[in-house]
Amino acid sequence: MSIYGKYYNAMTGIMNDLAKTIEANSRKHEEETGEKLFEHLCCRIKSPESMLEKLEKKGLEATTYHALRSVTDAIGLRIVCLFIDDIYENIALIKSIPGCTVVREKDYIQNAKPNGYRSYHMVLDRITDAPDVDGNTPGHFFIEVQLRTIAMDTWAALEHELKYKRNIKNQDLIVQELHRCANELAACDVSMQTLRKIIRGQSGGVYEGFTCGR
Amino acid sequence: MKVLLAEDENDLREVVQDYLEFQGYLVDAVPNGAAAVEKLARDAYDAVVMDIMMPVMDGIAAMRKIRETGNTVPAIFLTAKAEVSDRVEGLDAGADDYLTKPFAMEELNARLRALYRRKRDYKTRTFTFGNLELDTESSELRAHNSIALSQKEVRLLCCLLSNTDKDMTVSELLSEVWTGEDASADIVWMYISFLNAKLQSVKANAAIQISDASGYRITEVKDV
Repeated sequence: MSIYGKYYNAMTGIMNDLAKTIEANSRKHEEETGEKLFEHLCCRIKSPESMLEKLEKKGLEATTYHALRSVTDAIGLRIVCLFIDDIYENIALIKSIPGCTVVREKDYIQNAKPNGYRSYHMVLDRITDAPDVDGNTPGHFFIEVQLRTIAMDTWAALEHELKYKRNIKNQDLIVQELHRCANELAACDVSMQTLRKIIRGQSGGVYEGFTCGR
Repeated sequence: MKVLLAEDENDLREVVQDYLEFQGYLVDAVPNGAAAVEKLARDAYDAVVMDIMMPVMDGIAAMRKIRETGNTVPAIFLTAKAEVSDRVEGLDAGADDYLTKPFAMEELNARLRALYRRKRDYKTRTFTFGNLELDTESSELRAHNSIALSQKEVRLLCCLLSNTDKDMTVSELLSEVWTGEDASADIVWMYISFLNAKLQSVKANAAIQISDASGYRITEVKDV
């Protein structure tokens, strides 16, 4: 049995359920406006190995309780959007989902991390019929949601790779250049957002660009 | 500061080289324009001092070649002839200044200092306004976050930050930023939009506003 014990099945169910709800919201939005709310969505249960590593790093005992209560990203969901504004639209929609409350949120888009990392992080408390680790029914489970643009996602992928490589040559230089890339990608995201506003303003709010899949 | 000196008269070349070295410059000296072009292709210099009348390749032809390669090194011509056409041709070929022979060494030194000042102090400086900082060398805009700016955005913002006390008209901005380009008022408005979005994204407490006189001005805004 893994660190998640008997809760693993419930966690998978909660994760898939939330993903389906968000996808349904996006479909509805697409039917109404003709545009997708996000480019793609992916989710995962943190692998037991990574969870054990994280607990150890935090100086916590390797118990199911700590994995589900002291750490909030056992269930993770990532939404990757085309434009910055779309991120905030998705956030508003997620906040309106019944049985979901926001426990914590951090806007690393408006408050970029010193290394250049940008994303929006939310920790949700999801109510479910299944019992939780505290013995409550209905139970409460944490879900961490990350929202970012494609550019931010690409950057984070590279930064992640750097973080887990040891003994890299020119580490300082790479970190410095990665920070510059973060600033240039942010510049593109902001300029594209501005251009979209200008285009929409001029065409009376009707978006006549390409839409995928039709 | 490293200077390239191109002069075919041996005596003069040595005197100028000695003087500049005594003043603390690093000096490489060559006897003609072709050698100067070659040196500049291989090494970086902070300034070039070049005679016009030289064998193999004269100073004007050398200057044209240097500029064709995209090299913007500050250059001073030394001209024996006091003819206006000579000086005009030299300046048009890409020189920044000239001195007529015979000249005072102190004046050459002062002109080099002036060129260097223009290159360093004016081109690469940091502007501050409210909580924002514009680093023109790295093209970076910083406040609560940082973001990259395009070259045009840097020049436009520099222009506005140098004139915070008055409205800049569209035609003033066009001639300052889109110098010699076929650009319209629409592009100014579009770049102002880009800059405002970027100011907002770094949480700068400043915004560019359009004023009554249909000009633009950057002003501090509270509560962003």
